[in-house]
Amino acid sequence: MLRKAVKLYLHGLFNLIYVKFARVLIPAAWLVDVAGAALFAWGVASGVGAIATKHGASGGVTLLTPAAWIVCGALLRAFAVCSVDRLAVGAAQAASRTRRAGLWQKLLGGRLARPISSGESANLALDHSMAIENRDQRFSPIRINAIVGPLVVALIVTPASWVAAAIMLATLVPFTLGMILAGTASRRAAERQLDALGALSGLFVDRVTHLPLIRHFGAEARIGRQVRAATGDVARRTVTVLRTAFLSNAVLEFFSALSIALVAVYCGFSLLGLLPFPAPEKLTLVPAFFVLAMAPEFYLPMRRLAAAYHEKQLGEAAAKALAPLDEQPAAPKPSSHEPATAFDGLHVEHLRLAFPGISVGPLSFELAAGDLAALSGPTGSGKTSTLAAIAGQLVPASGHIATLSGAALPPDSVAWAAQRPLLMTGTLGHNLALAAPGTRDAEVLAVARQVGLGDVLDRRGGLAMAVDHAGSGLSGGERRRIGLARAILSGRPLILCDEPTADLDEASAAAIITLLVTLSAERCILVATHDAALIAAARREIAL
Amino acid sequence: MNTSPEVNSSPDIARPAVLETAGLARRHLFFASLCAGLAALAAIGLLAVSGWFLTAAALAGSAGVATAMAFNYLIPSAAIRLLAIVRTLARYGERLLSHKVALEGMADLRGALFDKLAAQDSRHAPDTSPGEASTRLIDDVEALEDLVIRQPARHAAVVSALVSLALVAFGGWRALLFLAAMMAALPFLFSRISAALTHAPAEEAAAALGDLRTRYVELAGSRAEIAAYGLADQAHAELEPIAHRLDEARRRLFRAEALQGALLSIYGALAVAGVLLLARESAPMVALAMLATASAVEGTGGLSRSLLRRASLEAGLRRIAALNALDPALHQPVTAAPGTLALGRHRFEPGARVAIVGPSGSGKTRLLLALAGMQEPVADLRLRGEPIAALPAAVLNGQFALSPQDAPVLIGTVADNLRLARPGVSEAEMWEALKIAQLDRRIARDETGLDTPVSEGGGILSGGERKRLSLARALLGGRPWLVLDEPSEGLDRDTEARLVDSLRHWLDRTGTGLILVSHRPVPLALCEKSLQIAELA
Repeated sequence: MLRKAVKLYLHGLFNLIYVKFARVLIPAAWLVDVAGAALFAWGVASGVGAIATKHGASGGVTLLTPAAWIVCGALLRAFAVCSVDRLAVGAAQAASRTRRAGLWQKLLGGRLARPISSGESANLALDHSMAIENRDQRFSPIRINAIVGPLVVALIVTPASWVAAAIMLATLVPFTLGMILAGTASRRAAERQLDALGALSGLFVDRVTHLPLIRHFGAEARIGRQVRAATGDVARRTVTVLRTAFLSNAVLEFFSALSIALVAVYCGFSLLGLLPFPAPEKLTLVPAFFVLAMAPEFYLPMRRLAAAYHEKQLGEAAAKALAPLDEQPAAPKPSSHEPATAFDGLHVEHLRLAFPGISVGPLSFELAAGDLAALSGPTGSGKTSTLAAIAGQLVPASGHIATLSGAALPPDSVAWAAQRPLLMTGTLGHNLALAAPGTRDAEVLAVARQVGLGDVLDRRGGLAMAVDHAGSGLSGGERRRIGLARAILSGRPLILCDEPTADLDEASAAAIITLLVTLSAERCILVATHDAALIAAARREIAL
Repeated sequence: MNTSPEVNSSPDIARPAVLETAGLARRHLFFASLCAGLAALAAIGLLAVSGWFLTAAALAGSAGVATAMAFNYLIPSAAIRLLAIVRTLARYGERLLSHKVALEGMADLRGALFDKLAAQDSRHAPDTSPGEASTRLIDDVEALEDLVIRQPARHAAVVSALVSLALVAFGGWRALLFLAAMMAALPFLFSRISAALTHAPAEEAAAALGDLRTRYVELAGSRAEIAAYGLADQAHAELEPIAHRLDEARRRLFRAEALQGALLSIYGALAVAGVLLLARESAPMVALAMLATASAVEGTGGLSRSLLRRASLEAGLRRIAALNALDPALHQPVTAAPGTLALGRHRFEPGARVAIVGPSGSGKTRLLLALAGMQEPVADLRLRGEPIAALPAAVLNGQFALSPQDAPVLIGTVADNLRLARPGVSEAEMWEALKIAQLDRRIARDETGLDTPVSEGGGILSGGERKRLSLARALLGGRPWLVLDEPSEGLDRDTEARLVDSLRHWLDRTGTGLILVSHRPVPLALCEKSLQIAELA
């Protein structure tokens, strides 16, 4: 365990260094890349020059040097590309780890503005996080190169032909103008396309999810036509949009081709001595050829950038989707300067929830310190969300949640018994005392027997029984009881129970109900349920 | 991943064909490939001709003014400019056409996959839960779309190789032979390198991501407890080692990708150096040959990059292929005369009203879903004397109209949801059904009326309103048996009484049978017979 921690720490330190130095090292690696390109170009140019002066004479020693330049240039570039990758991955993953830590804590244990399903939570925590990492990895390192790269290329070309360098730089002006024009159009187009695609995938997933219902009503063909019409429509609209969207690529393509053509034509006419204006410089073959071989390098960084544009878009969309999570209000902290007020009952006033698909309340009710109330309503009516709002895990639209005496409800006075309780890899004892680590074994055992886990304890080796996170070997009822025992052991006065009897056989359900009734003598228990027997056993029903 | 274990995982064997999976023929991409080839030709030509022109101009220039004047500069300089324009236009055409073909092809494919999935029997159809559906039909199809878009680039790579060979021929036969060998070896060599470098990390990354997702979803399911007891740190500690595994695999994958790019540029340099050493022609021709070689190897880079992408997308391709193999034959609901129904030992004539009662979790909902053809029955259920497990879903669908417990609502409008019930539902019929379901005033209150949009999970509708919309839909189905699961859950007493009253009138008027699950006394009073679920099991 300790070794692992040290390893993780060293890893973190190493990554910190990566991130700190990546800012400097990545541009340095790009410089090495340009240097490699220059070496390659010089090799090609001097090779052609050697052949030209010897007039086609046999290769021999003179050509080996240029060939060596060519290969050395490529090796340098290969080294640069691998270095950029290594640095970028290190930096992107380190950033990802930091982001992940905050994001996961928030999604798994923070206060949320709306209920988030497990699937959506995973999508935000894993896929969106990875999309941002991909952008950091593939797009971000090229950005600096796209700004500095062309200037460095022009600088390298200047000693050979300052006019060619000037030509390259001059193409940047119309290029930038063209990119601004086409870029604005294509960005708008891309945004519209993303919206349309989002709506389509929503509709599509919705229809596929509801296929059993659609089949039941024999509406397969009708809905199928609707889906086809929608997908076809989006495809056609997207193609229309892409006509504009690809203009910026065409602008880039055109100016990168144009700069090569202009350099070639200028150098050619200059070498012929046929320039239509007084020659500003004296060109010879090798420098001229070097300039030509370097010409494609001028726009190369920008083409690389364009190739990674998709990653940028996805990364930005992901960052946008995650942004609302950062604005979440932190869980209300219990005011620490005054001693925690004793819980004397629950007071809920005008509680109203408004989430997509869920609308609850206004609810007003009061529960005594020892009480049992049932929150009833159909599936999907917001029972669990109401419990979560009372526990401070969801932000209600309006309303007031307090103790009976009017003090704020301290978060550590609320226990939660889940429908499918959390199991951590470890022993049964560890899992039972998860909310109150350090509880004496005797006490844990007593509570475990009280909730009816005696059988399991006897059968499977007591508290030391190994439990894996999948809960293999435990029935639904046994898991439910672990959750209840955990809530009891937490010692918290208010217990929120989510569907404690759902999917249980009659005998187990009756046992749980008896247990809840017994427990309600000393604890305040609020259950979300649509089990008639449990509702009947409760002292009151709060219908949603 | 789980679809076809028989497919060999080696990257070059039994790889699903991209175009075949996409339902496209080669000819669809003909013009896109033509543009791609033209773009490749223009790109190589631009550099090669420029190099030749420059060198020849230098030689002519140094030979004296007369030679320079005699040098035909018009054709090459015009060719250079032309090639620059052709390269731009051809690239634009390639992009647009390949996207057009891919987008339209994928729209068709999505429709076809939907139809095929829809034609399956719910009782043993592939999983269409939201997660699965979005993986298979959104992500996989998107990945396939990307592959289709890249397809012309593969053709362009071949053109690049051929054009470069043609141009290098000007540099003499030795150079030509050398380059031909290099070009022929390239795809073979790089697909091997790609497989060796990327296969293991790609699989490991996919496996680690799968593990991470599974564990994360489990923990996210226990969010309430984690938040209540402040266990987020422990949850994070459980996830971090798996995330670390994923990071390592991805790091290796990226490294492999970069290495592959690096090897390609070294390979290109070796080819250029080789051409330089082996060419036995004049300087302008050698210049032409070298620049052609350099840009051809770069052009084939597209090929190896798409090989790399392929390796990680095979699982998705296989999933699509598996769905594509489903039988598309659609069965229309069989509208036959109302049938007698046997639940265990009890027989019911059409028009009977039966309540199924029993404790929570005893399988009442499951029984209704079995009647609706959505799940395999566990009890002995017969229609016209035949066990329903043996009946085609189409027969069951013609007999029963279900309003399920979770009252699913489709994204769209109120009318969209009601029209699902059967073809040709009129507006008047919709309002009538909404009236019986006690939802007409709520919908009329909204100025958009039947076009009121409802989103995922019911949107602006409350739980009880969703239930009644689902009930109205079942009423419109016009099937001999109405099957209701807790229809009045979430209603206040007055509305419940009115609902049950109007439902009774409707049942009397239409002679429709009723199978009801409810724990509330008011709707149960609709039924003349009450069955304990325990008797049926």
